[in-house]
Amino acid sequence: MTSVNPQPINSASDISYEMVCHFLYREARLLDQRKFTEWDNLFAEQGMYWIPLIEDQPDPINHLSLAYEDSMMRQVRINRLNHDRAWSQKPRSRTSHMVSAIVIEKICDETNRLVVGSAFQMAEWRSFGLRTFAGLYTHTLVVSDGHLKIGEKRVDLIDSGEAFEPIEVFI
Amino acid sequence: MDIDRLIKKDEVHRDVYVSEEVFSLEMDRIFGSAWIYVGHDSQIPNPGDYWTTRIGLQSVVMTRGKRDEINIFYNRCPHKGARIAEEGCGHTNGLFRCPYHAWTFNLDGKLRGVPYLDGYQDTSFDLTDPRFSLRKVARVAAYRGFVFASLAEDGAEFEDFLAGVKSSLDNFCDRAPEGTVSVAGGVFRVVQRSNWKIFFENLNDTGHPIATHESSYRAARQYSEEVLDGELPFELHIIDGNGAPPKFWSDLDLHAFDYGHSYMTAIFNAPDDPLSQQYFASLAAKVGEDRAEDILAVNRHNTIIYPSCSPHTSFQQWRVIRPLSVDRTLVEIFTFRLDGAPDELLQRTFTYSNVVNSPSSIVMTDDVHVYAECQKGLSTQGGDWVSQHRNAGQDQPYSGSEGGLIGVGTSELPIRNQFRAWHEYMSEGSGQSVSPEAS
Repeated sequence: MTSVNPQPINSASDISYEMVCHFLYREARLLDQRKFTEWDNLFAEQGMYWIPLIEDQPDPINHLSLAYEDSMMRQVRINRLNHDRAWSQKPRSRTSHMVSAIVIEKICDETNRLVVGSAFQMAEWRSFGLRTFAGLYTHTLVVSDGHLKIGEKRVDLIDSGEAFEPIEVFI
Repeated sequence: MDIDRLIKKDEVHRDVYVSEEVFSLEMDRIFGSAWIYVGHDSQIPNPGDYWTTRIGLQSVVMTRGKRDEINIFYNRCPHKGARIAEEGCGHTNGLFRCPYHAWTFNLDGKLRGVPYLDGYQDTSFDLTDPRFSLRKVARVAAYRGFVFASLAEDGAEFEDFLAGVKSSLDNFCDRAPEGTVSVAGGVFRVVQRSNWKIFFENLNDTGHPIATHESSYRAARQYSEEVLDGELPFELHIIDGNGAPPKFWSDLDLHAFDYGHSYMTAIFNAPDDPLSQQYFASLAAKVGEDRAEDILAVNRHNTIIYPSCSPHTSFQQWRVIRPLSVDRTLVEIFTFRLDGAPDELLQRTFTYSNVVNSPSSIVMTDDVHVYAECQKGLSTQGGDWVSQHRNAGQDQPYSGSEGGLIGVGTSELPIRNQFRAWHEYMSEGSGQSVSPEAS
């Protein structure tokens, strides 16, 4: 990220709209390039990746979620995606993300946090063909040690209650 | 169709998985007659609540009526045929109203009103004729809140059907301090590109985890070794279990019963942590320590209630298997609250389900993949017969009170047992199936 943030970031209000856009685009690109470990490094230490099961789901603890993963579960997913005997990854998933309509919804200097909303589509090719995921991202970004990190990435799929074939890669 | 030609003692013909004709006959003879799980009464706690789902290919509505009774009827307006309730849970204030021409029905499905009633004079239409009401399914029965229905007037009694696996439903509920359970947290829905029977066979198949799930248990172990010094937190413990050595699997017990039911003993236990102790205390406070220990000593992995569902008693999961077509199956996964247990226990139930049963589970994805591979392979001309030989002829009658058969953990007993019931249903019998090994 040094190319994006040549100057250390001291607080949330130092962050420009352009930096936020670039951060989200880069995050999506790392996923599409299967650079999962680099992607995971974008998360803050306690950062969470969350795909709610229902619309407006208030919390990930008292309800089922399509995914609710901390650093451990993300890394285990990554380990599996890289394993030779991940049968369902033969051939492996290929994805293309489109991220758009990026809006900074909230900036909080006291907690050094920003809430960023965006719309996305992800096309994924699997052995059974091409499929599309669509929805809204809500990124809670935190400033940590002079860098922008993901405190929470919330993925609200527009069809979250639908019957799915297995979802293996990060959306 | 000659059903007998499809089944041998320890093999089945591939047509049972790939033939449209067989599938169509199954919908008629199995899903059209067996006791099929519809839902849990906690999904419809109040009069006017309803739950719309399927029995085989039939859309049905389960409602709670004014006298607290449970009704199940076909989701089809007797006028033009529109479905009167959308899928999932809903509530209606005292009547169902068809969205097309506003015919209305009481909660028990009886026709209440028809617009432009004058126009029906001197026709064969009759407000009180049952054929102008919502058609009820033939039989409805429930055990401890779990509601089943049969589309056939005749057939096995529900009590007889359930007998072998009743103890699993008892244990499912007895684990709750209040003795009752409630659906909680939503429902996962997963589509598989394979025949419904392939999933059933997998539920008690202990031969597959070491091979199929290698990528996920290795991934969990890698993390444990690299980051946690070999420690396995709850989530990793669950995933790691699939990599247990062969002896672990063969030392398990498999129990099989009439009507295709079976269960296997547990693969792993809940951790002995403060939450488990708190939960035990809440149970013991209600039923006493000795009884609480007895209840928790019954520790089972998947129970199979053939041909529609599979409860997991120790982690409050309930999978429902809904065939969509010969090569498509929908699996719905429900999670249950143990009424009276600490909220944190329900949170652990959700964690378990997120890891194992979510569409994004890193464990299940390899299962779903190999099922689809079976479906593809079985569609080739590479061979007509599918092996079920493992430990055939070695299963023994079980001397315990539940009866049935018992086999070593790696026996294909549950699969052979399912096909005995399948054969019985498909030959237009009741599904009760006395095993050749027991006779």
